[in-house]
Amino acid sequence: MSSSTEPKQGSCEYKDNLEIVMHIPIFVGLPLEPLKVLTYFCKRATFFPGDILVHEQEMDPNAYFIISGTVALTLDSSPENIILEFGEMDFLGALSLFCTRKRLFTLKAKTKATCLILPRDKFQKTLEQFPEIGRQIFEALAKSICRWEARLITEHALGCPECRAAIGPTVV
Amino acid sequence: MITKRSLYYWVKTSDLKLQSLLLFIIAISIATRVFPLEMQKRIVNLAIGLGKVDLLFLYCGLYLAAVVVTGGLKFAINILQTKLGQETLARIRKELYDHILTLPLGFFRKASAGMIVSSLVTEVVAAGELVGQAVAVPLNNVLTLVAFAAYMFYLNPILAALSFVIYPFILFSIPAMQRRANEANKARVDATRLISGKIGETISGIHEVHSNAGYRIENRRFGEMVDQLLKIRITWNIYRNAIKVMNNLFQNMGPFVLFIVGGYLAIHGRFDLGALVAFLSAYEKLYDPWKELLEFYQIYQDAKVSYKRLMEYFDIAPEFALEPHERPPHLMTGSIQVKDLYFSPGGGIHLLKQINLDLKPGEHLALVGASGSGKSTLALCIAQLQKYTSGSVKVDGKEVSDLTKRDIAENMGMVAQSPYIFDGTIKENLRYSCEALIEGESGTSESKRELPTLDEMIQVIQQVGLFVDVLRFGLSTMLPSDRDDELAAKIVRIRRRFQDEFGESLAESVEFLDEENYLYHASVATNLCYGTPNQEDFKKERLHDSAYFLDFLESVQLRALLLELGRELAIQFVDVLEHLPPEEILFEQSPIAANEIDEYRDLVPMLEGHAAHQLSEEAQSKLLRLALRFSPGIHTMVALSDDLEKRILAARMLFIQKIQQELPGAFSFYLSSDYIHSQTILSNILYGKPRTDHPNALERINQSIIHLLIEEDLLERIVELGMEFKVGTRGDRLSGGQRQKLAIARTLLKDPPIVILDEATAALDNASQKRIQNLVETQWRARTTVIAVVHRLDIIRGYDKIAVMKAGKILEMGSYDDLIARKGMLYELIHGTKAGLL
Repeated sequence: MSSSTEPKQGSCEYKDNLEIVMHIPIFVGLPLEPLKVLTYFCKRATFFPGDILVHEQEMDPNAYFIISGTVALTLDSSPENIILEFGEMDFLGALSLFCTRKRLFTLKAKTKATCLILPRDKFQKTLEQFPEIGRQIFEALAKSICRWEARLITEHALGCPECRAAIGPTVV
Repeated sequence: MITKRSLYYWVKTSDLKLQSLLLFIIAISIATRVFPLEMQKRIVNLAIGLGKVDLLFLYCGLYLAAVVVTGGLKFAINILQTKLGQETLARIRKELYDHILTLPLGFFRKASAGMIVSSLVTEVVAAGELVGQAVAVPLNNVLTLVAFAAYMFYLNPILAALSFVIYPFILFSIPAMQRRANEANKARVDATRLISGKIGETISGIHEVHSNAGYRIENRRFGEMVDQLLKIRITWNIYRNAIKVMNNLFQNMGPFVLFIVGGYLAIHGRFDLGALVAFLSAYEKLYDPWKELLEFYQIYQDAKVSYKRLMEYFDIAPEFALEPHERPPHLMTGSIQVKDLYFSPGGGIHLLKQINLDLKPGEHLALVGASGSGKSTLALCIAQLQKYTSGSVKVDGKEVSDLTKRDIAENMGMVAQSPYIFDGTIKENLRYSCEALIEGESGTSESKRELPTLDEMIQVIQQVGLFVDVLRFGLSTMLPSDRDDELAAKIVRIRRRFQDEFGESLAESVEFLDEENYLYHASVATNLCYGTPNQEDFKKERLHDSAYFLDFLESVQLRALLLELGRELAIQFVDVLEHLPPEEILFEQSPIAANEIDEYRDLVPMLEGHAAHQLSEEAQSKLLRLALRFSPGIHTMVALSDDLEKRILAARMLFIQKIQQELPGAFSFYLSSDYIHSQTILSNILYGKPRTDHPNALERINQSIIHLLIEEDLLERIVELGMEFKVGTRGDRLSGGQRQKLAIARTLLKDPPIVILDEATAALDNASQKRIQNLVETQWRARTTVIAVVHRLDIIRGYDKIAVMKAGKILEMGSYDDLIARKGMLYELIHGTKAGLL
């Protein structure tokens, strides 16, 4: 793993990163100033196949945006079973930005993958400086969780009585 | 006990030799003070009156000598007073601190740190200073007063009697006012204490304040207290000053009487002029000792009030004896019997009810239950950290409440949920428990213990899984250039092997030093100079001001380009950084340091519309400083152009040549055969910089290096260096897991017969938790009694006994298999509907 691209003439990593951060769903529509600060705190990292980004049960204080490559979500109890795959443009770990907790899944690079990493402590510092963006980010986060569950209900729970017991996180 | 001592105790126990010396000097100084008065009289009456010049010179000379001697003696008195006062202050501080440390834990739950700090730092000062003055000032001034008064009576008894008429009034009225001042002073001490407590509380809860943006609330509360204190202080000072003013007034009335009566007597020839002058002088001189006496009186009253308040606050007896009396500390085997144990914090609440348990030496007990069930309280009672209300806890048949702290420290080790790590090195923290035992032994005839050896320390850090962390600290050390050449040589050898064996496979993670290539993770300065400066003006922080270096930049046409780079860096980074608080961690990815942001923020507006070379010299220097720090791999906000990169590389070659010709020795250029003293051991082995700070990549690099260190037999040497790592205040440079592991290692090193673990693995990840559990089950099996408060049920299988607690009671106790077979509470907790509630 390493930082991916060496800076070259004409391409400034920061500007590319800013472009990415502006389009991350939970950050869409934020004013430019906090977006710049968030981007300043982001670091690029490259993971090689088999590299573990996040370990189940371990504290991970980061959120990840996948610039290229594929990563797989698994449970340690059955590492072969891939639960979900994530690829380009996916943003993972938004909840970690708000609270420290033990991760429930393991995240592993399936191919060589380049990610933009945003650390929680620095995100929190940004939030302290721009408290008004918190509401917006939280709303976007809640909406995405609701959308996810709505999809679960329509795609699975309706046709599968056993699955019904497992739905309902959005009622919290 | 110190809190029962009065202020006089400190006077009595102060350095009596010094006090007697002081008395002696005072006695002499009084004589030298009255002497000039007599000279005055003689100068006027004999020398001037009779017109004798030789007598004038003689008396004036004697006058001068007496004044000089008085000055010298006064200075000596001051020095002695200061010494006595400061020594007493130090003594009160030390003894009071000693007492505070032994106060029951319950005291500290209520008292705030701020309050204790203000007590020890400010409130004792008045008492200490008072002791320095306690003998000297009153005695000196009373004697001086008496001497002057006697002299005045000798000159003219009637006049003297008249001028003393007003003093009884003063003596009557001042104490009345002082009583009011004392009331205000008491209130002031209390209010100051409240404020200290409030500040302490706010600072320790600053996270909460920030996360709730509660600045206004806190400031309002603080403001109210400050206003309260303001009122009290004004009242207090008004009374104090009123006393002074009143005293002054009375004093100034004195000459009025003298002029009227003395003048009348002189006109009628019943009093000579010289005597009147001496009389007036004597009266004027009365004022100083009288004023000093009054001041002393005020200091004494203030000190009495704050001292009393201070001692009242800490007037609590320690719950347990500290040292065993006329016996060595008990050495125990570790059996524990608890019988009918109750604990109540008061108010009719029972946190522990009728606890009974029995552990043989070496047995392991796990306490489980929901939070609030009393499991931690039980552990604290057994560890003598909480005094139980009734019932008994016996260790080796001896009642815990009768044991001394020393006995407990010798026989028990405790690991708390969030253990305290002291400011110091890893080594000091590891040795803390052992060192405490050794210091406890000093002065007794017991066999001398030894501090743990390096091997023992390495063993325990390996056991708890801290070894790699400490190794990493060791690798981050910089070797001082003046020693350990042998180690440096070995590291250079490892560097070579590292290049040969891992150079290719780690090329993506490490940027190797290479004379031909640009280093993206190093600064422009490093890229240009390609070496470590040995001369002060070429050092990192001064290079941008070095005339020699600036000339060089000019000669290779880099100066203007770098100024432009600096300008872009300043504009780009200030744009983002000005929104951030100046905290170092937030400035890691910026060439501007946290403490420089204001400087650059002010600079940026000046950059608009000016070419860099038009700027002031100071501004140019600042821009160049930024440009020289720029590392494109870290400061990604600005890109390094291909053109600039090529020019810097070309300039590097020229610079090396120039230095070698003109200033050989000014730089140690990087050579793969030389150790680089300005860089860490890790960088020296890598002979380059990691391209990232992500733990995964660093881990891979570390693994390769450990492999080589083992083969070169250097691993322990590096770990030894890592043990010197400074952990920061409360260990804040360590992670929560590292702190907990360090605390466990500390207990392992002490190796007591009883170990109490209070959720000691709560902050650890799964793998580390398993490792520690494994350690408990092997290392301590059958030889150390373990009582573990456990929050996770998957680690309790290996315990001999498990006690399930609820609402302060043990509901069931037995082996894991028994309890599961019984299908009681434990079964419910693990398998039942209540699973997940823990």
